Amino acid sequence: MTGAGIARDLSLRGLSVLLLEKGDWGGGTTGSSSWMIHGGPRYLEFDWDTTRLSTQDAGYIVSIAKNMVYRVVFIIPVLPHDKNNIERMETAMEVYDRFQPLKHAHPHLRLTADEARQAEPGLSADIIGAVTMEEWGVDPHRLVFANVQDAVSHGARALNHTRVVHLLRDGGKVIGVRYHGPDGSMSEARSRVVVNAAGPWVPEVSRMAGASVHLRPAKGIHIVYPHRISNFSISAESIDGRDLLLVSHAGFSLLGTTDDDFYGDLDSVDVLEDEVDYLLQAFERVFPSIRDYRPVRTTTGVRPTLFKWRRYEDELSRRYEVIDHAPDGAEGFVTIAGGKLSMYRLMAEETADVVCRKLGHQAPSVTATRPLPGNESDVEPPDELGRRFGITALAAMKLQTRHGSNAAAVLNESHAGRMVCRCEPITEAELVHAARHEQVRTLADAFRRVGLAAGPCAGAACVLRAAGVIGNELGWSASQRFDAAHEFIRGAWLGRAPVLGHSGWAQEELAIGSLRGLGNKLSRN
Amino acid sequence: MARADSLAKLAFAYGVHLTRRKLTRPHSQLAKLLDTYTQDGVRPLLPEERARHPNMIGCINCGLCALAAGRMGSVRLPDLATSYMRLYARLGAAASDVDGESPDLAAAAAACPVGVPLDEVAAIVRRLAAG
Repeated sequence: MTGAGIARDLSLRGLSVLLLEKGDWGGGTTGSSSWMIHGGPRYLEFDWDTTRLSTQDAGYIVSIAKNMVYRVVFIIPVLPHDKNNIERMETAMEVYDRFQPLKHAHPHLRLTADEARQAEPGLSADIIGAVTMEEWGVDPHRLVFANVQDAVSHGARALNHTRVVHLLRDGGKVIGVRYHGPDGSMSEARSRVVVNAAGPWVPEVSRMAGASVHLRPAKGIHIVYPHRISNFSISAESIDGRDLLLVSHAGFSLLGTTDDDFYGDLDSVDVLEDEVDYLLQAFERVFPSIRDYRPVRTTTGVRPTLFKWRRYEDELSRRYEVIDHAPDGAEGFVTIAGGKLSMYRLMAEETADVVCRKLGHQAPSVTATRPLPGNESDVEPPDELGRRFGITALAAMKLQTRHGSNAAAVLNESHAGRMVCRCEPITEAELVHAARHEQVRTLADAFRRVGLAAGPCAGAACVLRAAGVIGNELGWSASQRFDAAHEFIRGAWLGRAPVLGHSGWAQEELAIGSLRGLGNKLSRN
Repeated sequence: MARADSLAKLAFAYGVHLTRRKLTRPHSQLAKLLDTYTQDGVRPLLPEERARHPNMIGCINCGLCALAAGRMGSVRLPDLATSYMRLYARLGAAASDVDGESPDLAAAAAACPVGVPLDEVAAIVRRLAAG
């Protein structure tokens, strides 16, 4: 996320930029987040400045991405033996209210236990009261790509599935990168400054420059429910006193998150069933029916937290640091480390300031006020857009959450009315557009870019059809299409296995059956 | 230092809060909550909807209900259960999709292999879409 933000900031300042992403846009820590632009009331206990900066920058993001964000309203129930009693909890919200106007959010409200259960009938009979809190939701994959799009439209080059394998040096200077492209080719690019914005991979890239950046990576998982379980989001206290959240997004819910020191392979982070149980155990105290709901998958990622000794993971600061490595003997090499999604724009601006200072380039950042693509104007009513293109108002509305005011242009791409994924829903036109203009090269890229197979059926009904549409654009053979579907399903399985219950297995049987049936049909053709 | 400063400020705010609670009479804020967020589509489920909710979202998108009954408004029944039933907060903006005749929802529910009560699904979607 931060890399895309830096590329946008620098290209808007008139500099020539090359952005390289080893996976897909938002495929790392960003996509595994809680999908929120939030201020972080939790940080009030540690550092009010982080809360202030975070809410202020969240306000900027809400303004420049107005068609992509939506309000997330929390009910924070309090149980008799919780770490924070209702008065302490309301005190925290009263303090947080001072920052809420910075991100255009409403102040908190206090509810009695009965009122809280009227607002959310699923809450436990044991609660003694509740307070509310407001944050903003956003699809982080689309937020990343909107930044990439804007950078590209201002002259940047942006390549996904392209891995930096070596930094080019000239004595004490870093003068460029060598990178491995998706087609297996090796290329070099020379530059006056190289920025390392690799999230948890920052230490690995720093080592290429002979520099050392010390992080304390922390793993977090979420359970994904393919429905909005409740229209209000809900918080709960875990067995070790941490705050967990069930976040109600546009059409799904995220329950998370864990926060554990991570020492393993950053490219292979698994979800453990114990972690799933930890989340469910905490949440069923406040929402007893949670185990009746069928999760569709889990997500996992690693936070690039700044290093600190003798702190519990949850107490680590979410602050960031921009490091100029010239004193380490790597002139022209800059790292941005730490931080969080809600502050990505500010982190990008400060990093871009350092780059501009090094280059002697004088141009101010404009990213706080300049709208992201698709957010320059209001969207038209979804039912009108739907009528014009022969799709349902719901399909039009979902399209607008991804493309904002550019939705009509997307539908003009090809057969607008044909639906590929009915759960989300996604039109064929949007998939074609993603393959032609949004750097979608795999079905997993399509999952991130347009939400393919993100719904309750987890792709059982649409993956092969989507492979056909994307394959058509990218020139895949019949067997390549089948392989692409197979690869997607195999990858998705890793996130789904820890949460499959009885009805989850029914869904899985259906997926396997349809894949076999359609696979046979494909191979006959 | 930042931590000590933060905790000190929170302690002061706590004192102010307790004093204010002693001096003011609490009043219900539920109506304000609902009024504030209705325009964002954030509204409560009814208690009976909440109790039945886990059953209503079990659709595995097999399509058998579509064979048993027609559309509700312009919406195929599997889409009603998988897509509309996801309780989009902005379902009101898609109200026109579910306007019109109801198909034979009992026949559709009888055809469902995982027992989704499609008549109840239709009712909750229409209620939320109506705003």
